Amino acid sequence: MATAMHAAKARLDVAASNLANVSTAGFRRSIARAALRGAGLVTTSVPDVAPGPLRRTGRSFDLAVAGEGAFFVRDRTGRAVAERSASFERDRRGRLVDESGRALLGERGPVVAGADATIDARGVVTVAGYDVATIVVRPGTTLQSGFLEGANVDAVHEMVEVLEAQRAFETAQKTLSAIDDERQKDVDDVGRVKQ
Amino acid sequence: MNRALYAAATGMAAQQQNLDVVADNLANADVIGFKNAQATFAPIGGNALLGTVETGVRPIFQQGKLEKSGGPFDVAIDGAGFFEIERAGEHAYTRAGAFARAADGTLRNADGWSLRGIVIPAGARSVSVASDGRVSVALDGLGARAAGRIQLAAFDAPERLRPLGSAIFGATHGSGRPREIAAGGDRQPKIQFGTLEKSNVSVIESMMAILAAQRAYEADSKCVQAADEMLRIVNNLHRS
Repeated sequence: MATAMHAAKARLDVAASNLANVSTAGFRRSIARAALRGAGLVTTSVPDVAPGPLRRTGRSFDLAVAGEGAFFVRDRTGRAVAERSASFERDRRGRLVDESGRALLGERGPVVAGADATIDARGVVTVAGYDVATIVVRPGTTLQSGFLEGANVDAVHEMVEVLEAQRAFETAQKTLSAIDDERQKDVDDVGRVKQ
Repeated sequence: MNRALYAAATGMAAQQQNLDVVADNLANADVIGFKNAQATFAPIGGNALLGTVETGVRPIFQQGKLEKSGGPFDVAIDGAGFFEIERAGEHAYTRAGAFARAADGTLRNADGWSLRGIVIPAGARSVSVASDGRVSVALDGLGARAAGRIQLAAFDAPERLRPLGSAIFGATHGSGRPREIAAGGDRQPKIQFGTLEKSNVSVIESMMAILAAQRAYEADSKCVQAADEMLRIVNNLHRS
């Protein structure tokens, strides 16, 4: 029963963290998973990879993918990483880099663009009517410039989680108390000699 | 419970900061050249279920609506870039172009910042600004005369500019040094005379953001209550 209380507590931890990040762009909620193992319930959290809603920012270098697909950024080790939403800024050399310094990949290496560049749905980067680069995307990807993917947290769902965790905790506590009472009885009554 | 308690508390703090930024946007919705700001957040420690933290507030330099105005020296930028302004040797950058002629001939805004490189001679009857930023004045009996050219400044990362006032920004290490750009060219921003750039704040979007922030704050506070309730139960487990 003590592990059931731990499990309920873990569920609340996960829901609280998800709710706290409801305004964090690109946040992926965690799901609490409880499993019965040996000594009792063990809870782990796994990320939920479902896409979040697109939120308008109005910044032309905020990129998000509408529906299925991805674009690619190059991290410091030179590896291309698929992304679905990122906020890019121009660095000293005019390359578009995200908040962790990863460069947006175009068909001819990192995308270099002027401050007033625009990006269309197919990933073509345009400066004053001239195409300057094309962003590498998975086939069939529709890009949305001026949008970021919001957290995939549903407040209603998380609130239900909070309530359920609270009730589960209470149930476990009541059961624990009942077991405790029974033991108390055993200790007090068993072996007592009736007169 | 403690982890949930602290995670929910970080969420409440984040929504509070979010609300501050949105309220500031709304308060400045009618300020010429004001740029909508946005608070950004990140999960603490990747996502270690520890809550959220604010990572900064960034202005969004999306073009505001250009509107005809009545001022004699009103200018606006159609495109990217900033007006360079100076006050007591300090340089700053703005897109608010409401200026008035001061006694020494410089064009100053309401806060006393003067537009760099422009001096309007005494006795000027009318002023006009071409789309390339060239200022010409008509003097009594002398005809038209050039009075300087408005230079625009551009930055590599304008989001990293530091706000110095509601619509005035200063350069930082992150924003990079200002680059001078000439207005009026084929692929360049243009200067509009007799026009002002309104703020790019959307009142409707701001109201929606306020509602969302309030509800998120409430949800976080419910988590705090739930965690508190669990702690109470734990404390009552031991009955003497």
